[in-house]
Amino acid sequence: MEGASYQRFPRVKIRELKDDYAKFELHDTDASMANALRRVMIAEVPTIAIDLVEIEVNSSVLNDEFIAHRLGLIPLTSQRAMSMRFSRDCDACDGDGQCEFCSVEFHLRAKCISDQTLDVTSKDLYSSDHTVVPVDFTDSAGYESSEQRGIIIVKLRRGQELRLRAIARKGIGKDHAKWSPAATVTFMYEPEIHINEDMMDTLTLEEKQSFVDSSPTRVFDIDPNTQQVVVVDPEAYTYDDEVLKKAEAMGKPGLVEIYAKEDSFIFTIESTGAVKASQLVLNAIEILKQKLDAVRLSEDTVEADDQFGELGAHMRGG
Amino acid sequence: MFQLMLMQASKYDFHALIDTNDHEIYTKLTCCYNEKDGDIKGAVCSQLVGERAKIILDEVRHLALFTKDQCLLHIGEHFQPVMEGMETESYSSVADAVLRNHIFVHLNDNNDKFNLLIFMVQKLFSLVDQTSAPDNSDSLQNQEILLPGHLITIYLKEKLEDWLRKGKKLVEDKINNNSQNFDFCSLKDVKKVMDKNSSKQIGTAIENLLKTGRLITQTGLDLQQMKSNDICDLMENEVVSKHGWKQKEALVLLVFSKKTWVYSKRGHGFVDLFKIIEAKRKRKERFPLVLPQDACACAEIEMSVYESDINRAGFTVQAERLNYLRFISFFRSVHRGASFAGLRTTSVRKLLPESWGFLCPVHTPDGEPCGLLNHMTCTCLGVGMTTSWPKVDHAGPPRALPVLLDGCVIGSLSSGEADKVVAHLRRLKVSAASVIPDDLEVGYVPLSLAGTYPGLYLFTSPSRFIRPVRNISIPSSDGKDIEHIGPFEQVFMEIKCPDGGNGGRSATFPATHEELMPTAMLSVVANLTPWSDHNQSPRNMYQCQMAKQTMAFSLQALHSRADQKLYHLQTPQTPIVRTKTYTKYGLDDYPSGTNAIVAVLAYTGYDMEDAMILNKSAVEHGMCRGQIYQTETIDLCEGKSNQGQRIFKREHSDKAISSFVDSDGLPYVGQVIHGNEPYCSTINQVTNSKRVYNHKGSEMAIVDYVAVDTKNKQHLQKVNIRFRHPRNPIIGDKFSSRHGQKGVCSQLWPDIDMPFSGVTGMRPDLIINPHAFPSRMTIAMLLESVAAKGGSLHGKFVDATPFSDAVKGVNGKTETESESLVDELGSMLRARGFNYHGVEVLYSGVYGTELTCEIFIGPVYYQRLRHMVSDKYQVRATGQVDQITRQPIKGRKRGGGIRFGEMERDSMLAHGAAYLLHDRLHTCSDYHIADVCSLCGSILTTAIIQPQKRVVREIGGLPPARAPKKVMCHACQTSKGMETVAMPYVFRYLAAELAAMNIKMTIQLSGEAGA
Repeated sequence: MEGASYQRFPRVKIRELKDDYAKFELHDTDASMANALRRVMIAEVPTIAIDLVEIEVNSSVLNDEFIAHRLGLIPLTSQRAMSMRFSRDCDACDGDGQCEFCSVEFHLRAKCISDQTLDVTSKDLYSSDHTVVPVDFTDSAGYESSEQRGIIIVKLRRGQELRLRAIARKGIGKDHAKWSPAATVTFMYEPEIHINEDMMDTLTLEEKQSFVDSSPTRVFDIDPNTQQVVVVDPEAYTYDDEVLKKAEAMGKPGLVEIYAKEDSFIFTIESTGAVKASQLVLNAIEILKQKLDAVRLSEDTVEADDQFGELGAHMRGG
Repeated sequence: MFQLMLMQASKYDFHALIDTNDHEIYTKLTCCYNEKDGDIKGAVCSQLVGERAKIILDEVRHLALFTKDQCLLHIGEHFQPVMEGMETESYSSVADAVLRNHIFVHLNDNNDKFNLLIFMVQKLFSLVDQTSAPDNSDSLQNQEILLPGHLITIYLKEKLEDWLRKGKKLVEDKINNNSQNFDFCSLKDVKKVMDKNSSKQIGTAIENLLKTGRLITQTGLDLQQMKSNDICDLMENEVVSKHGWKQKEALVLLVFSKKTWVYSKRGHGFVDLFKIIEAKRKRKERFPLVLPQDACACAEIEMSVYESDINRAGFTVQAERLNYLRFISFFRSVHRGASFAGLRTTSVRKLLPESWGFLCPVHTPDGEPCGLLNHMTCTCLGVGMTTSWPKVDHAGPPRALPVLLDGCVIGSLSSGEADKVVAHLRRLKVSAASVIPDDLEVGYVPLSLAGTYPGLYLFTSPSRFIRPVRNISIPSSDGKDIEHIGPFEQVFMEIKCPDGGNGGRSATFPATHEELMPTAMLSVVANLTPWSDHNQSPRNMYQCQMAKQTMAFSLQALHSRADQKLYHLQTPQTPIVRTKTYTKYGLDDYPSGTNAIVAVLAYTGYDMEDAMILNKSAVEHGMCRGQIYQTETIDLCEGKSNQGQRIFKREHSDKAISSFVDSDGLPYVGQVIHGNEPYCSTINQVTNSKRVYNHKGSEMAIVDYVAVDTKNKQHLQKVNIRFRHPRNPIIGDKFSSRHGQKGVCSQLWPDIDMPFSGVTGMRPDLIINPHAFPSRMTIAMLLESVAAKGGSLHGKFVDATPFSDAVKGVNGKTETESESLVDELGSMLRARGFNYHGVEVLYSGVYGTELTCEIFIGPVYYQRLRHMVSDKYQVRATGQVDQITRQPIKGRKRGGGIRFGEMERDSMLAHGAAYLLHDRLHTCSDYHIADVCSLCGSILTTAIIQPQKRVVREIGGLPPARAPKKVMCHACQTSKGMETVAMPYVFRYLAAELAAMNIKMTIQLSGEAGA
């Protein structure tokens, strides 16, 4: 294993960064890394979500489990999650989730006393920890805060009441989707599009136009001045091969050549709000590192053999 | 046979009904034939009519019945024995009663009865001459429905009559019994007698009918199916077939044939005659004029069937609220009769063209009740009550076509004018101002060669099907041209479809009517399948069944209901792709599925053979979650012995159940109860004994609601406890799309391992196998996927009404848009940058690499079916065994096992897994070590001899060592030859059973060989 090193130094180029949205390029690595990052972001970056619900009074129309399920799906701000403990391996408590290291307590008390329907929303959840609160979606640019009252949990009519205590815990999306910090994580291979200009020149303007129109997304366009087909947005290409088929149908195979760059990816991330999109990537890298550490640390132990089976020897470099 | 029948007919009726003479009868009978017409096309009578009429009249001449009075006397004399309560009446009044109550009861006037009889005989002649065809009793044209209200009414009437008769007899007995002083004038005395005949039994009878669906009747209620194997469901409506006669006439015939059975044994009912004639005709035999033997035999057979079949089940069905579609389907269903299900013949199940527009061709279950349990189309109606009869004046002398109104001959009509008359009648029917009811059926049967017997048949009677069509011969606007037509007249009408074509109609018969819409031929449920015209037809039938098995929003007031069992979907959605019917019936109030993102690919192998992979995250987000609500009723008043003694209570000292049951004996609402945990406790105040109700089954449940019955003010005596069983999707649950594509969840697959779209990042909620499509040809499901994708991208619902292109052609709207449906849907996708064909490039969730082909993916409305593993799984290690055989018992409820049957055994043998086979069938079943006497070979005569005295040797608390069992044979009186043999316990049972039949079974034991 000495000899040639296969180590690479991936580069990241950030395109766009918002609280709950990120778009970046990942270069100089391969699909396995990119996909590992995607998988970790969806399933293994920890967040905090309501896990235990103790209902005192529920005279609403929704049943207890329904409300508990809805509560669980409310995204909570989880900046603390990385440093928190899983309640299953918390030393400070018996794992019943009532200690500061591994859990956050919430209270909800709502009763409708007017004739108007009362919306019980995530704003009515009172947290014992000010750093862990339901995500506030009020956009400074968007609605007024009075209009946006958070995520509706249940609606109450006159006389109905909901009173409960909830415990939020740290968890990962693998265990339950409510702990997943990512709404969408996807990546695509960066396409490389070459137009065979010579062959393209043989086309009439109508043919060019029909070629451009053959792609459902706007990848190509015709330059109004030179009347040449130009690539306006290579990333709009969805690898649907529509233009290639079109070229074939026009009797001009090889009119365009499209390759996927094997080592460069464009990531799109949407966060649920539990963790900022940028933080989500960093956390994912951190988790990925930890996972690799776990592999490396168990390198020369016997467990490694158990853990990886035949691969164990392989990992030790044998 | 004719003679016999007509002998009765003429003898009892022609003469008896009106003062008439043989000549008049003759002329009336032969009036339909005119020498001049000869053999022109469409003539329904031949010159033989006259001959026959003459024969009939000659036959009865010897009876010397010439006047009405003579006839009446004759009838009275013969019928008096069977006329109940008329023993003392004079013959003529008996005869009057017979004619009034048993012959053509729908007609009051004897002249009408006479005319109808004449008409019927003419029709019969025509049938024999093969100038008209017999009416098909399986055709909807000749059927009407038995409505629940009518059934209950006649049933109640019979029960009341029974009660009155019984009461009368009691009183009569008292009066005749002179020993007791009974004063009829004393109210007290009469009341005392009548108390023995409780009027409660009438109510109970009706209640029982509704509860059990059993119709217990002595007379048969004049229901045709009581005699000839029809059964109806009460909640459902029933088709009663008529043997050869339409409606009223037929009913009356049956009344006649049934009520005069005693007489018919000598003679014959009309109906039977018809049957014979039809049978003969089918065999292409020339019909002989006299056939008394056959007829008599037939009558006897009918008689026996009739008597044994007076108790019939299946008249009611429970209107289950499994979901809304199932619920409404019950009220639109029509059952042909449960007894047809057992019949070998399939002719009753056939989908005949006559039912077009009235019964849905799609919405019938497959399998046993196929074709018997039908559903009315969405526009079809039933005429419930009789509308008022318009006044009719009798027309002049007969010329050609008889005109009948509700089975009464009201005149005749020249065939040349019939068309005009019919058109005029229809115009009157539609117009609001006229006295003609708008559901009048104008059944004009034109002259034809060997077709249906011609005539103009008008019907206003109840229990008919009707449906609306547009009358295009009437120039009218604002919906005034909608005419309701019935199944009888429909056959003879020219109704065109609104697709612009002529439908192969010849120009000589221009269309007079037009269908309102093509979907009017489908039932409500069948109408909900999107683009069902693009599916293979059986798939639409499957969908109709599965729509009714769907877990959905069954009702709105869930929190205050106490139904036995309710299925409820927690988070349903409204379908993106829907038909007009969905909107019309407001089914958004009762949604029944989820728009799942469905990818069609073979991804892991877990989607083989109609299995489907669900996305675990999607399920965790709430897709297809649901509950079962189940209500237990505890009524302490049940069991009259200790009424009022028991109350709901828990003793304070009872700590064992205090965490489950409150001090009032009822469970805490919201309490989770596992298997065999208590949920309710009662105490008998007298005996102070307590009773604890335990939750049955091993499954977890939550107390949802406790409803107390406060009718009894003093003590709470009755409670309803509603449990909630969570039913979140797990492996083994059943799902289906709206196109008869059902499947079972085989895995809850992790979200990250699902394929994803590089563009949108979408992961499918559900993966199905592409092999589900080629053989089933559910093209509409593919269309739905594309349409829903387009619809969701554009933010609008997509209309998927079937046959819409047939209507579009008329409006001329389509030409501006795209020419085909696919193109319309494809361009919707293209406009949003998606592939025209609905496919997308997906990447493997495991490797992050592009999948080699493009994947068809889009939202499809999926239904969760009520069949769930949680209710069906069966597992057993050890448990109860059968008392007799000592083999494990069967039945899921009792913790039994699943039978390891012959075929399973065979497969074990084929695999050579002998040890496993031995383990399954013997060791784990009824393994038994029997003592066998090798001397006599018996296993039954062995007995254990108890040692005389137990040797007590207890050393240091150890249990006493087992004394060696001493066994001896009773037969041999020795224990010398005793051996132990392992065998199935049933073998011993077999030996015992054989011994009971005086068969001795001996076992020969041989050495140690083998073992």
